[in-house]
Amino acid sequence: MRAVKKLAAFLLSLLVLSAAVFWFARLAPGDPLVSYYGERAERMSPADRAQAEAALGLDQPIRVQYVRWLKNALRGRLGISYKYKQDVLTVIRGRVGNTLLLGGVSYLLIFTLALPLGAACARMEGRLPDKVLCKLGTLSACIPAFWLSLLLILIFSVTLRWLPSSGAWSPGAAGGGAADRLRHLALPMTVVVAGHLWYYAYMVRNMLCDELGADYVLLERAAGLSRTRTLLRHCLRNVLPTYLSLMAVETPHILGGAYVVETVFSYPGLGTLSYESALYHDYDLLMALCLLSGAAVMACSMLAQAASQRIDPRMRTGRGEVTGRG
Amino acid sequence: METLLQIEHLSVCFDAPAGTVEAVRDVTLDLAAGEILALVGESGCGKSALCRAVAGLLPANGRMEAAKLTVAGADLRGLRERDMRRLRGKVVSMVLQDPMTSLEPTLPVGAQIAEAARVHAPRLGRDGARRRALERMALVGLDRPEERYGLYPYELSGGQRQRAALAVALAGEPKLLLADEPTTALDVTVQAQILDLLRDVRRRLDAGVVLVTHDLGAAARAADRVAVMYAGRIVETGTAEEVFYDPRHPYTRALLACLPTPEKKGRRLYAIPGMPPTLMPPPRGDAFACRNEYALAIDYELQPPMFPVGGAHLAATWLLDPRAPRVTFSPPEEEPAGPARPPAGGPALLEVRHLSHAFPLPGGGSLRALEDVSFQIREGEIFGLVGESGSGKSTLAQCVMNILRPRTGSVVYKGVDVWDRSLSRAQRRMLRTDRQMVFQDSAASLDPRMTAADIVAEPMAVNRVRPPRGTLRAEAAFQLKHVGMDPSYLDKYPAQLSGGQRQRVAIARALAMEPSLLVADEPVAALDASIRAQIVNLFRHLQAEHGFTFLFIAHDLSLVRYLCDRVGVLYRGRLVELAPTEELYGCPMHPYTQALLDAAPLPDPRRERQRSPRRFDGADAGRDGPFTEAAPGHFVLGGKEADL
Amino acid sequence: MDERFVLVGIRPPEPARILPRRRRRRDVPVLSLVFLAVVILGCVFCRYTAIADPAYMDLSGCSLAPGPGHPFGTDAMGRDIFSMIWYGGRVSLTVGVLAAAVSAAIALVAGALCGLGPDWLDGLVMRLTELLLSVPSLLLVMLLQAAMGRSTVTGIALAVGLTSWMGTARVVRAQARQLRRSGFVVAARCMGAGFFHTLRRHLAPNFFPSILFMTVMNIRGAIMAESTLSFLGVGLPLEVISWGSMLSLAENALTGGTWWIVLIPGLTLVCTLLAITETGEWLRRRGRGSAAAV
Repeated sequence: MRAVKKLAAFLLSLLVLSAAVFWFARLAPGDPLVSYYGERAERMSPADRAQAEAALGLDQPIRVQYVRWLKNALRGRLGISYKYKQDVLTVIRGRVGNTLLLGGVSYLLIFTLALPLGAACARMEGRLPDKVLCKLGTLSACIPAFWLSLLLILIFSVTLRWLPSSGAWSPGAAGGGAADRLRHLALPMTVVVAGHLWYYAYMVRNMLCDELGADYVLLERAAGLSRTRTLLRHCLRNVLPTYLSLMAVETPHILGGAYVVETVFSYPGLGTLSYESALYHDYDLLMALCLLSGAAVMACSMLAQAASQRIDPRMRTGRGEVTGRG
Repeated sequence: METLLQIEHLSVCFDAPAGTVEAVRDVTLDLAAGEILALVGESGCGKSALCRAVAGLLPANGRMEAAKLTVAGADLRGLRERDMRRLRGKVVSMVLQDPMTSLEPTLPVGAQIAEAARVHAPRLGRDGARRRALERMALVGLDRPEERYGLYPYELSGGQRQRAALAVALAGEPKLLLADEPTTALDVTVQAQILDLLRDVRRRLDAGVVLVTHDLGAAARAADRVAVMYAGRIVETGTAEEVFYDPRHPYTRALLACLPTPEKKGRRLYAIPGMPPTLMPPPRGDAFACRNEYALAIDYELQPPMFPVGGAHLAATWLLDPRAPRVTFSPPEEEPAGPARPPAGGPALLEVRHLSHAFPLPGGGSLRALEDVSFQIREGEIFGLVGESGSGKSTLAQCVMNILRPRTGSVVYKGVDVWDRSLSRAQRRMLRTDRQMVFQDSAASLDPRMTAADIVAEPMAVNRVRPPRGTLRAEAAFQLKHVGMDPSYLDKYPAQLSGGQRQRVAIARALAMEPSLLVADEPVAALDASIRAQIVNLFRHLQAEHGFTFLFIAHDLSLVRYLCDRVGVLYRGRLVELAPTEELYGCPMHPYTQALLDAAPLPDPRRERQRSPRRFDGADAGRDGPFTEAAPGHFVLGGKEADL
Repeated sequence: MDERFVLVGIRPPEPARILPRRRRRRDVPVLSLVFLAVVILGCVFCRYTAIADPAYMDLSGCSLAPGPGHPFGTDAMGRDIFSMIWYGGRVSLTVGVLAAAVSAAIALVAGALCGLGPDWLDGLVMRLTELLLSVPSLLLVMLLQAAMGRSTVTGIALAVGLTSWMGTARVVRAQARQLRRSGFVVAARCMGAGFFHTLRRHLAPNFFPSILFMTVMNIRGAIMAESTLSFLGVGLPLEVISWGSMLSLAENALTGGTWWIVLIPGLTLVCTLLAITETGEWLRRRGRGSAAAV
């Protein structure tokens, strides 16, 4: 019953999202014909133009266009990319693996490294490593991802010539060896991870430090548990639900950062794709990308909720808040 | 008996942003195995800091110095954290005040107890630890431990949680148990059970217990010996009988004198003047001197040593020096009882008719908060409403004050139904100005960003009343004077005031509109005993001199007995008994009232130890029946058994 | 008889020694405040701080390294970077402040509606923010930018502002909910205070510190977003000088070895953002402190 309700809410959200994006995109004054026909569009006669628009369905009211898009979408046809002249899904399919490799692995790295890092700092609260991390957290939140990318390119590609500065693989070696892929991934992934890791570790640290002040910590320590054990076995457990929902909420943030980084490094992923589609008014592609990102994020937060419920039994019954009234 | 705990010249300091706080100063203390020592004092007197110092659990900004600190022969001074940890749980252990927060919320209680047991005996293994945990649960009186082993803390009641916390603390069979206000957050009936449990546990484990409490009644019930602390020092120590029946230090005397007891009814309570000192830096000489009517000149100069009174009874006051004048402590001044109380049966000011309310629960269903409550408050009387947490007393106050709309029933004030939607403007205005409320938590009920003057004048500003004394500020000054504060407080923010002063400001605000009815929801529960007496006197004064009518909500039974004319007892949302005060306390009829009265602690060790309170398991709670008049003016729920 | 043992009773307590107020001084981020003041003043009065016309392209002096005449060097079009920083800063800061104002206004209204309004409204607006939060904000801004057509300073500020209010709105909502239940608001209702009295006397002053903090952080976010967009080429066009658009030439500069074109505007940007963050944190600490112990 609950699962059905959740699914319905999920689908409804997707519907609203798609409508909003559709409407916004169609308001844009840019000329989609240009992206479809290229230079030719500007040389078209008015009659040709009208015909071309009719062919693409652009002459009808937005409402009608949306309904038609929706009908097609339900049959699995999300439209055609005007720029690539291909089915949207085909275009996306070609890129999604690259983004999963960069964004997904970075996300996992951030997610898993922030916890031990934050825990270590909470354990050493007020000592040097902790202070360094706090400063790094503030600093990294102030450096725009694109500039960090430029900096790293300047150092490692231009000056030292150790690593390549663009693409997902060396030219001519499409889908080449793993070593080649790794060399290309090294810089962008560093930027994404370094740009976020400190900040989230800093959050974990703050949450844990608050938690260490809780009464149960004192009781457990009075009963003979060590500080480290209390921290790792109990505080971390209590912080985890908050951390999970935080990470779920921040998914688009990390994803967005990865998109920028993809663009700087000309990495053929969804980021560069969405940037291009926004630039060239490639409606159907942009819609699909927005929906995909949105769906991924919503799925993440549903996962986080489910995991939190497993960890904290109070969330299962929703009884946690209703004690002590009177 | 062997000495278990020995403390000599122990001091604790905390580094705060504004300077160093000397929380504990030069404390010397010992405790034998199998003995319970109550450490009594008001908040901020250093009793918790002393406990933490002994357990080696001071916060990072705390420092401890001691000439001697041994537990069961082991020196605890200057131990490294790793070595201290081995002793914790096995030699020293601790339970805390709030059972709601002192258990880890995401693990079953059994697992937590087992984990604590395994720390000290890793060879126990999983099953051994489980068995040990079950034993401990049985020891602390959690019956059916097998069933309860897998329950999460939120599934237990407050008393059960405190028992589980005790089981965690006792898992390693400690020789010394530090209990830091273990009963403060619990209801009266549960308090008594936990105190009895402590006595039982120390007997069975032959452990020493340090019971930290601000409640003299709790100390009288559980303690063999008592140490009274004030401003970081121990001022008097002796057996419970010696301290309670023959107090020598003026502070101990004052503490006992300011408790409301039935004999003092109709008289002013003794209130200790002034406020506890700040310990940053501590005052010279006897810290209590500037609140002590019997202070000697030397008290302002020199810290008195501990003078022996007889046996183990010691007190730190210069009055015991042979050179000091003989002082006879006169009983607190008697005050004529004021104008005669209004005759019972005066006109009803407020009438509550068949009030019911329920809160919806997130998972569906609802929580019954009030059920069919009816009573009247007559003009000029103090009507007391007693009940434990969750009994619905705050909900009732909110329904009366138009904060919460009741599901059914009505509240009629001066003939006007306060929840009637068709009231005229004038009637609404009358309701707003004629009834005022004083809240429990004065810190929360005053806006931190407003000055006392703005706070007191706010009701006038809200209702656009022309201040009779010219300006709003003059009006605020007048009202503050009314509650015993001078105009220098006008520009202070709540954070700059002490708890008692804040509550006075809150009362001044309520009085500003010159109401007829004051609803006071636990107005003194958060205050220390000495300050509490000041506020209680103020209430009495307001009623006697100015004829205010009060709805006084409290859980402290002796206070209600001292202050109120008629009392109603709430239990799980139902009014179970309603009678004139002396009638109710003299012959309670409902079993719940009886249990409640039985459990109320008194600062009288002999009496406390003899009593074994009746338990009220709630089975009778559901018993329905008419709310009948068993004796004139004495109503009880389920009147059939009224002649019990 | 010893005169020290005379009964004197209660004497007025010694006046509490006034402790030196030393705690505040240490917390003030002097360096950040000074830096920020210099940057803001320099940008506001860029006409006087600039040493050359930032738009003037000296094609004979392209990509000059820092040196006399051009303390920070020139860019690939021969413009003086030192002058561009002040002019560009003016645009960047304007975008930041405007966007933050827009988002603060929306957030305040939405958050207060949710926090104080009926439950169904709360649910509706919260679902909306969740929806908006689920799309990377960069995509949203690009969409809006495209919808609004030509990029102008106000246009980009509006786009950034419209897509960054959700976080603040949530904070406002949580605060409003908490305050609504707090003792003094209930007390005010008891006195018969109306909604606007409560809002003016109780809610707004207690909101203020956290709103201030969020707004300062939003300024930071907006400056960052503007620079990212301009860098990508979807924000301000090249001829409108801002810190972001200055950096959009950086990619070509990388290969040419003209590091100052990348480093100098970037460092200015990062330092300014850091100073803003430190200032925001300080304001928040101060707001908390004043509530706890005025």
